[in-house]
Amino acid sequence: MSAVTPAIQLENLTYAYGRAEAVRGLNLDVKPGRCYGLFGRNGAGKTTTMKCLLNLLRPQSGNVRVFGMDPRKDEVAVKRRLAYVPDQVAFYPWMSVRETLDYLASFREQWNTKIETELLERFRLDPARKTSALSKGQKTQVALIAAVCPETDLLVLDEPTSGLDPIVRREFIETVIGAYQEGNPGQRTILVSTHLITEFEGLIDEFTIIDGGRAVLTLEADTARERFRKIRARFTQPVPEVGFADALRVHRSGRDLDLVVSAGGAQAVETLQRHRPESLSTESLTLEEIFVNVLQS
Amino acid sequence: MVIQINFKSGKPVYLQVVDQIKAASASGALLPGEALPCIRPLAEELRVNRNTIAKAYTELESLGVIETIPGKGCFLKHPQSLLRKDIRRKMLIEEIDQAIVQAHHLQVPGDEFLKLVRDRMAALEEKRRSNEKLGGPT
Repeated sequence: MSAVTPAIQLENLTYAYGRAEAVRGLNLDVKPGRCYGLFGRNGAGKTTTMKCLLNLLRPQSGNVRVFGMDPRKDEVAVKRRLAYVPDQVAFYPWMSVRETLDYLASFREQWNTKIETELLERFRLDPARKTSALSKGQKTQVALIAAVCPETDLLVLDEPTSGLDPIVRREFIETVIGAYQEGNPGQRTILVSTHLITEFEGLIDEFTIIDGGRAVLTLEADTARERFRKIRARFTQPVPEVGFADALRVHRSGRDLDLVVSAGGAQAVETLQRHRPESLSTESLTLEEIFVNVLQS
Repeated sequence: MVIQINFKSGKPVYLQVVDQIKAASASGALLPGEALPCIRPLAEELRVNRNTIAKAYTELESLGVIETIPGKGCFLKHPQSLLRKDIRRKMLIEEIDQAIVQAHHLQVPGDEFLKLVRDRMAALEEKRRSNEKLGGPT
């Protein structure tokens, strides 16, 4: 099997603001065509990591490769192949939406006007409106349209839904991602950082949870949901005093027992069945629940 | 046809789509020759990645459930299974084993389980008949 050049590869990335280390030896491997989630709490190092990809920050050590290129040496070539939406978007306030998009398009080799029209309509954005008159959500929508239209191979989104109300959030992120991927199915890569994981539950193919600048867990989303499970058992008598080697968390309350497991839980289920529970059920954790359980254990 | 994704089932999302389309074809909610939703609108409606739907459709195509007509979309095939009988049996046995394990967990005795199987077959047959009478999906 020939090795495909990863869209993003980070090896031992380390970045410190003065003495404060934001990213400590982070490894990341994003295959082309994936929608990859970077999950972490505020201050976990997500934004710093993304800025290193764009050469907005220069890491003190480690290797950064975007499509095999070093953003420090090939900054223009790297930026030609990616679009970035920062966590805080700002436009020239005197420009209209139309002027802003034209201005941003002038920096790009190509611009898909069909997608632009489609998304402007779907978001009900008035092209004549001044950007200073837009709400925060509308500004983010304009920034996302500007990121999708150049049809780059990689889309880097830093907290694209934070600060937006739930209705707006629900509507637009899958629209933008759908429009972006559709142009070259299976080839376009997305790296998205967020702490609002529920919004991205179905969109993420693979993710890394980072904490304190380090990767804590990297898994495919489907595999993660298969492995991380909640097991509930109820007994006719008080819960038997047995240990569960494979449990991440054990909660006993009277006749009820709740377990969280990270390896499928076959062993725990077997142990429980030997004690003849009155009822026994298992369900998978959502990505957000996995995030919380991993960071709290 | 309405597809619903349950992230708590622990079943890979693309497989949930595959199984629901198979079920819709078995119950007559989708009729042979009928078009399946296009990848992008379905992905957006279910709030999942288009890769997931594309993977489900590829799987359904390799199983001979649907066919892709370039430029037109995906359609449900007429039920003439391309799979060998022993492979079909093996696939079914896997599913039955799962249901038996589940019945054991839920403490449903064997005879009751078998009765449920017969009831469900009758219910699906009934649903298929009424769908065919209506001449389309509901």
